[in-house]
Amino acid sequence: MSLDTATPAAAQPARQPSPSAVTKADIARAGATRRRKSAQWKLIIGTVCTLLVIIPIILAQVLPLPDANFQDLSARRLPPLTDGHLFGTDQLGRDLLSRVLHGGQVSLTIGLLAVLVSGAIGVILGAAAGYYGGWVDTIVSRLLEAQMSLPLLMMLLLVVALFGPSIPVITFVIAIAQWPEVARLTRSMVLVEREKPYVSAARILGLHKIQILIQHIIPNVIKQATLVVLLLLAQAVLLESALSFLGAGPQRPFATWGRIISDGQDYITTSWWMVTLPGLVIVLMVVGVNLLGDGLRDRPRRKKKGA
Amino acid sequence: MTNYILKRLGQGLLTVFLTVSTVFILIRMAPGDPAVSYAGPLASNEQLAAVREQFGLDRPVLEQYWIFLQQLFTGNLGQSYSFQAPAMQVVFERMPYTLTLATSAILLTAVVAIPLGVWMSRRPDTGKEFGVNVLTIAGQSMPDFWTGIMLLTGFAVLIPLFPASGFATWGGLVLPTVTIAILQIALISRMVRREMTNNLAAPYLTVARSRGVKNSVLTWRYAMGNSAIPVFTALGTRFAAMLNGVVVVEVVFAWPGVGSLIVRALETRDYPLIQATVLVTALLAVAVQLLIDLAYPLLDPRVRLGKAATA
Repeated sequence: MSLDTATPAAAQPARQPSPSAVTKADIARAGATRRRKSAQWKLIIGTVCTLLVIIPIILAQVLPLPDANFQDLSARRLPPLTDGHLFGTDQLGRDLLSRVLHGGQVSLTIGLLAVLVSGAIGVILGAAAGYYGGWVDTIVSRLLEAQMSLPLLMMLLLVVALFGPSIPVITFVIAIAQWPEVARLTRSMVLVEREKPYVSAARILGLHKIQILIQHIIPNVIKQATLVVLLLLAQAVLLESALSFLGAGPQRPFATWGRIISDGQDYITTSWWMVTLPGLVIVLMVVGVNLLGDGLRDRPRRKKKGA
Repeated sequence: MTNYILKRLGQGLLTVFLTVSTVFILIRMAPGDPAVSYAGPLASNEQLAAVREQFGLDRPVLEQYWIFLQQLFTGNLGQSYSFQAPAMQVVFERMPYTLTLATSAILLTAVVAIPLGVWMSRRPDTGKEFGVNVLTIAGQSMPDFWTGIMLLTGFAVLIPLFPASGFATWGGLVLPTVTIAILQIALISRMVRREMTNNLAAPYLTVARSRGVKNSVLTWRYAMGNSAIPVFTALGTRFAAMLNGVVVVEVVFAWPGVGSLIVRALETRDYPLIQATVLVTALLAVAVQLLIDLAYPLLDPRVRLGKAATA
């Protein structure tokens, strides 16, 4: 055996078929292999779906599209694929694809910002609650509980009605809706981490509590917290579209996805594309992000340096 | 046990009180004048002032809050501006519709999602399961208003199987229920799969299998028995959230529940109606949460209420 590993190149041609009872077919059927395969597929499909939506959105200004707010009343409600309107036009003759892409820029910006803010609040409060315990934990845990029993969408609508449907307000509102999930996860992970020997070691070495938390504990939990944040991005996009469907979405510079769909709602029987196509774009994008998040979570953890 | 219930009740009522107080302050900070939406855009300043006086909106906010607190304890939150009826009565008239919709949606979810999740957990990452898994991801990725409009167009307009809106016949319940259930089934079945996969891989199950326990018993009694609490909690929490009004779906289907009521109340700045809706739904949500916790010992005899708080 030691000879085998010492000169692998020489031993290779002479090697007999493995005497092991475990055949290649067994390995392919094993749970771990299947799990890795399906995680890979999720990553691939997720990436394709996400990029299919995100790349055109990023390039919206560069692509040869009519202006999203340009009205042409002679070209109202044209079906898809006519006169260079890939998605058709709406009741005011605006190019639907252009509206969807420009609106998507706003939706995505809101989603990304909201997720960054909620991620930051969630990690900070969750880590503080888990590490310090005591009254910090009591306050954070009560806040988490209180938010669970709140009529969430109702409160969000109220706040948007209060401060107006501007992009910062909607971002903030979505972040407030989402921070509990990150906070709860971070708190539970920090509770586990803080009992580990390296924390005691750091404390004995005389490090300050905050230093231990920031330099040693948070780096150990941040990876998993980031995964949740990716899944929250999908929810943020959905929440934003629901708000704008109910009329509490940003109007400027461009109407976002939910608003486009509610605009088209009255014409659904005669002009199916005005609701169906923007909806499919949302679904494609959210499915992509969800698959990516799922795939990343299920992906087998690689040890460092190929060990 | 009694102590535990009293403590939880106290906490719940405190949450409700803080919620309605927050809403009270928020709506009075909001721009938009209820007098304008009540008297109409053509009303003179004198008429507006008269309306404000009639509703007590000309008084200082603190005094309004004091009156509100008194009303809170008598259970009478005043007249709704737009309905010309006691606000609580308006909410109670709408509540059964939301309750019906929420109950039927959660029943459909439980009936489909639990077997589906178990099915997935017994063959994780096979070809078939991967397909279903992606389908559930799609289910949780569809905006519910869009699903609603699509179902509405498909099964009420193009193929007129069900009424398009309102609740005149039981058929009207089908499309809104399905719309809500699609999302909930996706979420719950994935959760069941996660719980069951963990439990099916646990050592106690290997021991039981090696002693010749039947597969169906292994799955449904052993593994499901241990997954019951998280699954039940998730179902209950979802149900409680639905009582706050399934706002979007109610709007799409013109369902006469509290969800569409709150949207209308917010648009017309109907302060008493907003407060009554928030009060009733928050109370119900807290009650449901408490009932869920009280049901734990029934599902899992190891749970002793009031002593389990170790996390």
